[in-house]
Amino acid sequence: MLVLISKRILMALATVILVIVLSGTLIHVVPGDPVTAMMAQSVTATPEAMAAMRSRLGLDQPVWQQVLIYLWHVLQGDLGTTIRGNEPVAMLLLERLPNTLTLAVSGLAIALAIGIPLGFLAAVHRGRIADTIVMVIAVLGVSIPAFWLGLIMIQVFSLKLGWLPVAGSSWRNILLPALTLGLTYCALVARMTRSAMIEVLGEDYIRTARARGLREHQVLLVHALRPALISIVTVVGLVFAYLLGGQVIIENVFSWNGIGRLAIQAMLERDYPMIQGFIVVFATSVVIISMLIDILYGFLDPRMRQR
Amino acid sequence: MTVTTPQTVIVSAVRRRHIPFSVLMGLGLAFLIVCAALMSFYIAPFDPMRMAAGPRLAAPSIQYWFGTDEFGRDLLSRVLVGGRLSLGIGVAAVLSGLVAGGLLGLIAAFSGRAIEAVLLRLIDVLYSFPDTLIALALVAFLGPGIENATLAIAISLVPFYARVTYGLAAAERAKPYIEAARLAGISSGRLVRVHVMPNIVQSLIVMGTLGFSSAILSAAGLSFLGLGVQPPSPEWGAILASGRNYITKAPWVLIFPGAAICLTVLSFNLIGDGLRDLVDPRRKGR
Repeated sequence: MLVLISKRILMALATVILVIVLSGTLIHVVPGDPVTAMMAQSVTATPEAMAAMRSRLGLDQPVWQQVLIYLWHVLQGDLGTTIRGNEPVAMLLLERLPNTLTLAVSGLAIALAIGIPLGFLAAVHRGRIADTIVMVIAVLGVSIPAFWLGLIMIQVFSLKLGWLPVAGSSWRNILLPALTLGLTYCALVARMTRSAMIEVLGEDYIRTARARGLREHQVLLVHALRPALISIVTVVGLVFAYLLGGQVIIENVFSWNGIGRLAIQAMLERDYPMIQGFIVVFATSVVIISMLIDILYGFLDPRMRQR
Repeated sequence: MTVTTPQTVIVSAVRRRHIPFSVLMGLGLAFLIVCAALMSFYIAPFDPMRMAAGPRLAAPSIQYWFGTDEFGRDLLSRVLVGGRLSLGIGVAAVLSGLVAGGLLGLIAAFSGRAIEAVLLRLIDVLYSFPDTLIALALVAFLGPGIENATLAIAISLVPFYARVTYGLAAAERAKPYIEAARLAGISSGRLVRVHVMPNIVQSLIVMGTLGFSSAILSAAGLSFLGLGVQPPSPEWGAILASGRNYITKAPWVLIFPGAAICLTVLSFNLIGDGLRDLVDPRRKGR
């Protein structure tokens, strides 16, 4: 188990370093001169100011040196300062990270709470009407853009019915965006649960349990659902990563004060240090979460511990 | 001995008319959407860019089937012409992503252990990040616009296609006929071109269909955020972005472009899912 954990931590570290290097290199894919692009909207774009900006961002040094310096700074927790406002990027992002994670965890909880029972129901009634209905919901769920669903939710629950506020970052404000994320990603969870349950239900020990005369609900809930849930744990990491990706847009739809909203603002203003910082923080969150889930899987599944 | 390849599976399913209902439904829907988009300039009742083609925010009526937007532009015409843009971005992004990802996957599968290990690790790292995030990060640096959005979406699809191609190619690599071909002295390049590609191309096309749905969603998302196609171009996400401030007064500005995205994505998901079940029987009914 210790080997599994240390291997996973090393892999996560290597991935984070790769992401930092890629993020440091991204400024060089800007067509033309990044400083000109950044200062295009600024009234103070004199040649002197542009030269100062170039030297501030280290763009006057060779590319490999810039990337190494960026890597070194990031590893020390320094993500640079924003172009507008000259504020530390790391502080701005860390201030909003709890908001983003709260929304993501709430969305994931809703997705699991709806998706697992639906997938379970579909697998148990495989080939029958309940299964068909769940599969139709699942394919519809992955076809509806989350931001569109969010706008429809605002239209129905906030503007027409007046039940919930449109935007903001209090606990009442979280309901609509979390529900939007939950409904969008429950389809994925339902499909995966169904798939895992069908696989478990085909195992010999399920037939044995039935042959021993155990009640059907005991077979399904104790003998089938538990092992199926263990394999679902592995896909939760994947769903969480995708949910975080979708959340960037959802935060903007609901004006949720998270790092996604901050990032899109920075992207529209071409604030490159902020965008690079966002990529690093976001990717690191994804890497840490998938690492924790892999380790959790190791604890839950005894076969993994022996590897 | 009969070798069952994905190609023979799909062709024989067509011959026996055993195409699943969902695939037929998806094909029908996709056919209608593609035809409407291709003929949009002929069938659109108004010029999609013409302001004051009708009253501002007019409700759907006989004259304006989908109503009008905040500038009095006919929404039906904008959604129809917008289909050309959205589908065009999807096709271009999927084709480029498929070619680049496919090549990367094939190189990983057929060029020795060291390169395979490095490429596979890189592909796996990129594959663990949501494609929306990769597209967003790239477009943030490339700048907004239709070409950059298409390029960013294409690159965001590369890890997915590379992973799928590698999986298919590695499965073929383990088969005895490849071993025999190698022993006969056939080079890796020829082996891939003549023997491997014909056996995996059908599965790649199926995966292309699934990637297409994802590309349409990413394109709409980028334009909605103001980072993709720029107004006044009538891309579906861009129409939603400009109409979102009027959703109380004119919900149709929200409903029709959104429904267009949903139906398009749904049709290609139905086709992709159904065909994937046909080519990979282990997944059938899962």
